[in-house]
Amino acid sequence: MAPSRHSAPSEEEQLRRNTVGINKETVSNVSSTDFPGHFPGEDHAFSIDRFKSAFSVQFHRNEPNDASFSLVGIDASLANAFRRILIAEIPTLAIEDVYIENNTSVIQDEVLAHRLGLIPFNGGREGIHNFLKWYKKPEAGEDPYANSFDWNTVRLELNVTCTVNPDASPTETDPLKAYNHAHVYAKDIVFVPTGRQVEYFSGENAIAPVNPDILIAKLRPKQSINLAMHMHKGIGADHSKFSPVATASYRLLPLINITRPIIGADAEKFQRCFPEGVIGLEKISREEASRPGSGYEGHAGELKAVVKDTMKDTVSREALRHPEFEGKVKLGRRRDHFIFSIESTGQWDSDELFLEAVKHLKLKCKKLEQQVINMVQ
Amino acid sequence: MPREEYQVPTATGASASAISRGATGGERHDSRAVMTYICGDCGGNVTLSKDALVACPHCAGRVLYKERTKRMVQFEAR
Repeated sequence: MAPSRHSAPSEEEQLRRNTVGINKETVSNVSSTDFPGHFPGEDHAFSIDRFKSAFSVQFHRNEPNDASFSLVGIDASLANAFRRILIAEIPTLAIEDVYIENNTSVIQDEVLAHRLGLIPFNGGREGIHNFLKWYKKPEAGEDPYANSFDWNTVRLELNVTCTVNPDASPTETDPLKAYNHAHVYAKDIVFVPTGRQVEYFSGENAIAPVNPDILIAKLRPKQSINLAMHMHKGIGADHSKFSPVATASYRLLPLINITRPIIGADAEKFQRCFPEGVIGLEKISREEASRPGSGYEGHAGELKAVVKDTMKDTVSREALRHPEFEGKVKLGRRRDHFIFSIESTGQWDSDELFLEAVKHLKLKCKKLEQQVINMVQ
Repeated sequence: MPREEYQVPTATGASASAISRGATGGERHDSRAVMTYICGDCGGNVTLSKDALVACPHCAGRVLYKERTKRMVQFEAR
């Protein structure tokens, strides 16, 4: 049985352990120490109950394409696992094969195919997440379409021909007005439902580009692009076009500790060392000024610098460059407070993506557990 | 999607020997063989017979481009 936590560290000690020090030119105290055996007499064994009681999630922003939230009380290894799963292991649907019948535009076939592959698409979520399954590439020598079914392949077509616009004035210099279809946009891609796809991807659930105004190619009269595309499911580890996130990153919560008062003009300069909203200015009250040893004596009515919102800080360390703040401020980051930022490319909602990442990690753990069991047997 | 076999446009039509020689089997000394090109100046279609002068009949442009293959070309979007 693990020793009891009779010698639980003080609040101050706990804060010290949880703070990554940010100094003028160095970063200190970077590794976490909350593992068994590091502190004599303290129990740091992982238990799900202790994790549950210490862990919390706060949402700062939650929009379909941009979510930001804090995970507090979690180890960097787990937070990083979630980030990596978000980037590389959550499946999405993307264009994989391009069958070009004709392409007389100035953009080369392979470049065009690559550009098409990078366009993010959206469609009925039920269909994309549950109906569509993995596609297995046929072996060499096999029929190339042997494995293409309605439940793993989505067919798209792009047929555009540029023509002279007869209504435009002959002196028109803007190609968009002088010609029809001078620009080929993502919205020109047509979804061709096959088989049971009609049930899942019709009406507003149709497969369509998330951003309809992505420019694919530019054409001039008589040039045309005629092609068909097959979309498959894939993961970001295979190709980044399958990555469901534009960015998925985290940063640690910045800490600013004003150890000695910063007053008057210095306070205003101190405020300018940080992004807007991080440092506030407050009037020193009579009570504070009359307290001996507070550092505010005789400064009643003047301004002092106070920390308002460290979340907005970028940790530029500008304040550490100025000699007048030396010894007055300590910068740091909280080791177990991760501010996640997830920007979805549109096929998933950003918050849904994080839940999916948790699901993936859980599944990996279950697989590992089974392997360990097999190993022991 | 069945790939149609590309036939070199010849007046005599595809014979068994033409297929066995593949897509480049069109190098046949047939005076009636006609090839279509695209004029680099005016963009119009130009048909040239074997001994014709290399020039566009519409604009006299001397730069002619070969037509793109009629076959479907498959790419991986990577």
